[in-house]
Amino acid sequence: MRTIACMEDLEKLAEQKRKENRGYSRTVTLCAGTGCCASGCLSVIKALREELERLKLKEKIKIRATGCHGFCEQGPLMVIEPGNIFYCRIKPEDIPEIVAETLQKDRLIERLMYTDPSSGRKIACEAEIPFYKAQDRTVLGQNKLVDPCAVGDYIANGGYSALVKVLTSMKPEEVIDEIKRSGLRGRGGGGFPAGRQWEYCRQAEGEPKYVICNADEGDPGAYMDRSVLEGNPHVVIEGMLIGAFAIGAKHGFIYVRNEYPLAVEHSKIAVEQAGKLGLLGTNILGTDFSFDIKIARGGGAFVCGESTALMASLEGMVGEPRPKDIHTTDKGFKDLPTNLNNVETWANVPFIINKGSSWFASKGTSGSKGTKIFALTGQIRNTGLVEISMGTTLREIIYDIGGGSATGKKIKAVQTGGPSGGCLPEELFDLPVDFEALAEAGSMVGSGGMVVMDEDTCMVDVARYFLEFLLDESCGKCVPCRIGLSRMLEIIKDITEGRGTEEKLELLKDTAETVSVASLCALGKTAPNPVLSTIKYFRSEYEAHIKKKQCPAGVCRELIHYSIDRDKCTGCGVCLTACPHEAITGEKGKVHRIEDDKCRKCGICGEACKFGAIKLS
Amino acid sequence: MSEYVTLTINGAKVRAPRGTSVLDAALDYGICIPHLCHMQGVIPTGVCRLCIVEVIEKGRSKVTTSCTLEAEEGMVILAHTDKILKARKNIAEMLVAEAPNSRAIQDIALKCGVKDVRYPFRNKDCVLCGRCVRACTEIWRSRSLGFVGRGEQRHVALPFDERPEFCKRCNACIDLCPMTITPCDGPMKKGEEYFCGKCESQLSMSEDFVDSCVWCRLGEGFDVTGRHAGRKQEDKR
Repeated sequence: MRTIACMEDLEKLAEQKRKENRGYSRTVTLCAGTGCCASGCLSVIKALREELERLKLKEKIKIRATGCHGFCEQGPLMVIEPGNIFYCRIKPEDIPEIVAETLQKDRLIERLMYTDPSSGRKIACEAEIPFYKAQDRTVLGQNKLVDPCAVGDYIANGGYSALVKVLTSMKPEEVIDEIKRSGLRGRGGGGFPAGRQWEYCRQAEGEPKYVICNADEGDPGAYMDRSVLEGNPHVVIEGMLIGAFAIGAKHGFIYVRNEYPLAVEHSKIAVEQAGKLGLLGTNILGTDFSFDIKIARGGGAFVCGESTALMASLEGMVGEPRPKDIHTTDKGFKDLPTNLNNVETWANVPFIINKGSSWFASKGTSGSKGTKIFALTGQIRNTGLVEISMGTTLREIIYDIGGGSATGKKIKAVQTGGPSGGCLPEELFDLPVDFEALAEAGSMVGSGGMVVMDEDTCMVDVARYFLEFLLDESCGKCVPCRIGLSRMLEIIKDITEGRGTEEKLELLKDTAETVSVASLCALGKTAPNPVLSTIKYFRSEYEAHIKKKQCPAGVCRELIHYSIDRDKCTGCGVCLTACPHEAITGEKGKVHRIEDDKCRKCGICGEACKFGAIKLS
Repeated sequence: MSEYVTLTINGAKVRAPRGTSVLDAALDYGICIPHLCHMQGVIPTGVCRLCIVEVIEKGRSKVTTSCTLEAEEGMVILAHTDKILKARKNIAEMLVAEAPNSRAIQDIALKCGVKDVRYPFRNKDCVLCGRCVRACTEIWRSRSLGFVGRGEQRHVALPFDERPEFCKRCNACIDLCPMTITPCDGPMKKGEEYFCGKCESQLSMSEDFVDSCVWCRLGEGFDVTGRHAGRKQEDKR
């Protein structure tokens, strides 16, 4: 492959790739993201390859295994172009039929089409599916056009043109101004204006400067950075190149979680490819701009996603945060000016340069611009990745895109922003997704986790769960985070186990406030959010645990009691055999009984009983 | 560039040599900001969080530790706002509940206004202030001590739990440890811990002098000689 020296070279290469693609009569795009891999897409791809080989259609039909399409609930996914035909939940056995019917005879297979659960209608076209229709897929949308391991795909779709534009026609200050005007804010949780951060770093004294891509995404249930880096690593590299040019940085790092093997592999391949094309290295595109990227694998700690801890980890030290009285843009990696942004922030940069800052600023609210990717999980029908314009309401995300509750039960709350985000009640679902609006309500945009919870969720138990996670992941360096969180967990366990008092609840609140005011890093400062927000919005549940010693949702084991309804029990004995603790006694045909001292409150008997005779109180 | 900077702490104009931390500037001026992990001669880490202050920048307030914050010209510091006092008191309460067997910590808690301890006592031997580790590493360049583990498992340890050959046996770790001086009435047994609060009468005498109490060196009282902290003994009050 020749190196690219100017805009013409890039266009030539793009045209050549596009021509190659036009040689195919059909393109079959298969999602090979982590979600679809888990539901078996690799065997589907293998079956398709073999089938096309057998029918000698390899030259006519292109298979493209791409990164995540977002609709993970329905995986493995397939999109056939032209036609935008969308098939979901494909099995390897379906492949011969797809090839014979759809690819050769242009006939749709109804069985594989997506069924809209609200109307029961079959939808053939990807763009018409409600899940996709209500989204604004700027960054994620490119995933399905690009094979992450083929740089040609990226270039054919306009890749690296923003870099060429910047290097040939813009000054670094102009790039920074453009980013500032766009209103792009950090997507990793902090929400700091990216343009201003770049400017600080450019103005800082010290050489060489560094840029870092933070791909140490550790929030449970969140995988947007993973999907972007796995599915489209070149867009991140291009963003970093533009940033490095604007800042005057010479070296870059992608700090990626070692638990993301595909992201590590794909970014390695992408860096190698970009190097071969002359897009990384010395004198890029014949200018005096030089830049290289190294891939660093994460140290396996959640706290390493914090910028100063990440830099310590990069230096080979223990990944612990340090006070940020001196900003990392002044003294970061090796005490040199360092600009750190998250994967999604970098991925937005080429789009802003290509389409202009006004295009980006036209989306979103007054303070939060552009689009944001969220990982929609929990008791929601359409689990997956969604990308929406800032300012979209939570209700639209949960009901229009997410399809509402998965269990049919009423949705009670949503937790936004990862483990240290707050839980917002149904009354606040009309809040727009906006940095300030969510922060004011006691939650945050954070990195973009969104966990939907239904009526069967105990909010005190949710707070306990996240506290346990955060205490486990706390580095233990500072007192409020280490001792404060363990005290909070101690109190909340007391509450869920029936030892709660009102004084303890007050102490819990006091401790939570201290931890959020006084902790050293953002992990500690935001860690009390789940507790504070649940106390604020679901105080009645705490009070039920404390005063009545009851768990309204029937989750906290110490506060619930199982018994058998004498009128409903037929004495079939199913519960008796199902009980793993041998706590149920009774003769066949007669009413059974649960022995309280043996019962471990696992609830298995309730699931096993066909007559609804197991009572929970 | 001038060798001195002038900043405002609690409304007082304080002049300090450039490069001084806000905590040192305040202490030298006579404004008491309680602290525990802070030591002269080593790099501040800001882990005990007792010395938190509010910095007012462009009309916005930010909470940070004064030991890690370098004094700058025109800086505005509020060290005793309600928000800070409340958080500081709560941190001191946590510390004393964690390790009641230290007179230094008992004194700090008292100074921070703790009246009673609402948490169950844990009676630990270490609060991970890191004074020993930093003195060993930075002053004595020995690196015989370090932190091991994360979160609740974090503890100070010798390499492979054995005293290494390069340990200089200087005893700095023991001298600087806030746990080595027990409360006046002797060590407390498990289950019999209490918040001592005996020195209250002495403290109240100083309360007349706003922000200039005699206890401002509190928290360093346990370093008897001060020889490991890189400063002369007469410098101690």
